[in-house]
Amino acid sequence: MSKGFANQRLTLLSLGVVACFMAVGVRLVYLHVIDRDELLRFVDKARRQIVIEHARRGTILDARGNLLATSRSEMTVAVDAWALDEYLQTDKNPAKRARRSAEEQAKRAQLAAQLGLPLAEVEKAFVPARRRIKPEADKHDGQVDGLTKDRWVKLCEGVDEPTYDRIEALNIRGLTAERVYRRVYPGNGLAAHLIGYLNKEGTPVTGAESHFDLYLKGSDGWIESEKDGTRREMAQFRSREIPVQDGNDVVLTIDSVVQHIIEDELKDLAAKYSPNFATVIVSDPQTGAILGLANYPSFDLNNYSKAPLGADKNRAVTDRVEPGSTFKIVAVGAALNEGLVTPRSTYDCGNATIDYKGRTIKLPKEDEPFGILSVADIVAHSSNRGAAQLAMGLGEQRFYEYARKFGFGQSTAFPLGGEVRGTLAPPSQWDGLTISRMPMGHSVDATPLQIHMAMSAVANGGALLRPQIIKEIRDARGPVIRTFAPEKREQVIGRATAATLAQLLTGVVRVGTAKGFDIEGFEVAGKTGTTQKIIDGKYSTTHHVASFVGFFPASRPQVVLSVIVDDAKVSGGTAYGRVVAAPAFHHIAEQLIQYLDIKPVQPAARNFLALTGGVP
Amino acid sequence: MKPPPAHAHINRLIALTLLLLVFSGSLGLGAVWVRQKISQTANHSRALVAKITEVERRLDEVSAEVATAVNPDALLKQNQAMRLALSTPREVQVVRIMESPELRLAAKRNREIFNLASSQSGDSAPTFRVVTASLR
Repeated sequence: MSKGFANQRLTLLSLGVVACFMAVGVRLVYLHVIDRDELLRFVDKARRQIVIEHARRGTILDARGNLLATSRSEMTVAVDAWALDEYLQTDKNPAKRARRSAEEQAKRAQLAAQLGLPLAEVEKAFVPARRRIKPEADKHDGQVDGLTKDRWVKLCEGVDEPTYDRIEALNIRGLTAERVYRRVYPGNGLAAHLIGYLNKEGTPVTGAESHFDLYLKGSDGWIESEKDGTRREMAQFRSREIPVQDGNDVVLTIDSVVQHIIEDELKDLAAKYSPNFATVIVSDPQTGAILGLANYPSFDLNNYSKAPLGADKNRAVTDRVEPGSTFKIVAVGAALNEGLVTPRSTYDCGNATIDYKGRTIKLPKEDEPFGILSVADIVAHSSNRGAAQLAMGLGEQRFYEYARKFGFGQSTAFPLGGEVRGTLAPPSQWDGLTISRMPMGHSVDATPLQIHMAMSAVANGGALLRPQIIKEIRDARGPVIRTFAPEKREQVIGRATAATLAQLLTGVVRVGTAKGFDIEGFEVAGKTGTTQKIIDGKYSTTHHVASFVGFFPASRPQVVLSVIVDDAKVSGGTAYGRVVAAPAFHHIAEQLIQYLDIKPVQPAARNFLALTGGVP
Repeated sequence: MKPPPAHAHINRLIALTLLLLVFSGSLGLGAVWVRQKISQTANHSRALVAKITEVERRLDEVSAEVATAVNPDALLKQNQAMRLALSTPREVQVVRIMESPELRLAAKRNREIFNLASSQSGDSAPTFRVVTASLR
């Protein structure tokens, strides 16, 4: 071999090496400069991922910590029939493939049993199918034919976790699942109007779910990281992480057992009288905390879509009724507070007319004929004429102002909203008869909650409070982050006046319109109400609103309870408050005494009136 | 002075190069080991978080089931199904005790001793006192 030939070969080799390096260089430039953006996009798409962590919605609890609403995970089971097909195709041995196929079929039979579905339905889902898509989006399977492999055939929704664990143990090829959180209400219809519900999209619709959504919803977190070829996250490549913040727990003031007691009574009322609607409210007079609030008709929160029309209305705040005789506490309370009368002051309730401001006014009818009645008797026997004369003694303006102070004609500031104000016209809009009719609860309307809170003011030493439904907000880990104190709205009447009025109201069950509904030793104070409903612009003689609103024990009130029944059907009689509402009040009160451990009043406390100069 | 032979320089150079290679190799292996550990720790931590989430989910599940089982309606149904005949006490069935229940129980417990003491002494007054301080 000559030296020149060797040099030539070396030169060629060098040139070859240089050319290779240049080719590599060109390729690198191509990859890193020219194709850079597209490749980066591809890598980003292939490796980078953002995983969103959904916040767990907070729970709603009652005052004793019982769960009223919580989120429960459920599985949606689906089938990717193509995955099974691909798995079977990997084995080239027909005998082995047939054995695998038989094994999978046996598992599917077990799957059908676990899901409670017919085997044929399960088998159908495991048949590979294609679905139609837009041709421009058809880039996945290499053919642009407007069809793509259907890799998600929903088999069953709402599978609970234990069942899914058993299904997962079967290790079925092609079976996939997605975890979803569903709101569940363990009490079903318990406190439905207070709790509210989330619709299918997870949007809160009514009640606490809607009004405290800000506290309940929490905030989602997310993680930016990379995934490997099997789509598993490579945690070491996490670049950003925003932690998830679960929703706070909302504690309501209601008590599940109290709520259950009143709902049970409402069911009985509904079965017996088929009313248009009925409401029962129980609250603590000292704090305004609602211990229970139930309406008829109601609905099951877990099946809200099947609720009859209007059943989800919280009638206690959305519907107005004339308060009837329960409104007499305004005239009596105001007259006592102004020092115009004492419980012993008397009025002639036998006269059908009275002279007022130079005019002769026709007084309202009485249910039974009365003569001279003391203020105590006016309350006990619910004298319309007596109440009218008390209001006349006050004058229009003062009477109106007291009615406003008792909360009529204005919002109670109910925390769950949806409330109507009721109607209380100012004296400038009154006609000549209003001063004689309004004291008996006509020419005014109010929501059941307004009537309840007015009575609550009497039980609470004359202080009108805002109804309280939320007790506290708790962090997802337990600590209390916000509490809600009682809110006083108005001092309606003096403390002593309220105590006197409370004792007068005990006369209603001892000797008055609800005689016989007293509970020995517990000083039930209350007021019956029977209002004729306005049908086609006239007071009906067949449609009534029956109510009994009261509290006990009168000398140290612990519970305020209202029963209001709209248009009860009483066979062969009028739906008087004492016929429809008072028995329900009595029955609920008996149960509340036991459950809330309300102690009977000691004889010393019973002599309270003697000490304060009231009626014996 | 005689200069060191050329191969001695080369040997030193080779030795240094080998040392450098070992050092950089160790650094490289160390870096790989550290990355591996980071990866292991991160994945372990992720697995733990997933496990905690799983346990919390199970707890929620159990809480929901317990709440469903103990709601008043369900308990009443159980009462009927199991024929327990449990019902809320009525006021007439309740005996209210106005004095201290501890003293009352202590007196009841020691009634026999009281009776014995009074019959022995022939006097109505007991000869000793019952100490109930520990009960208070």
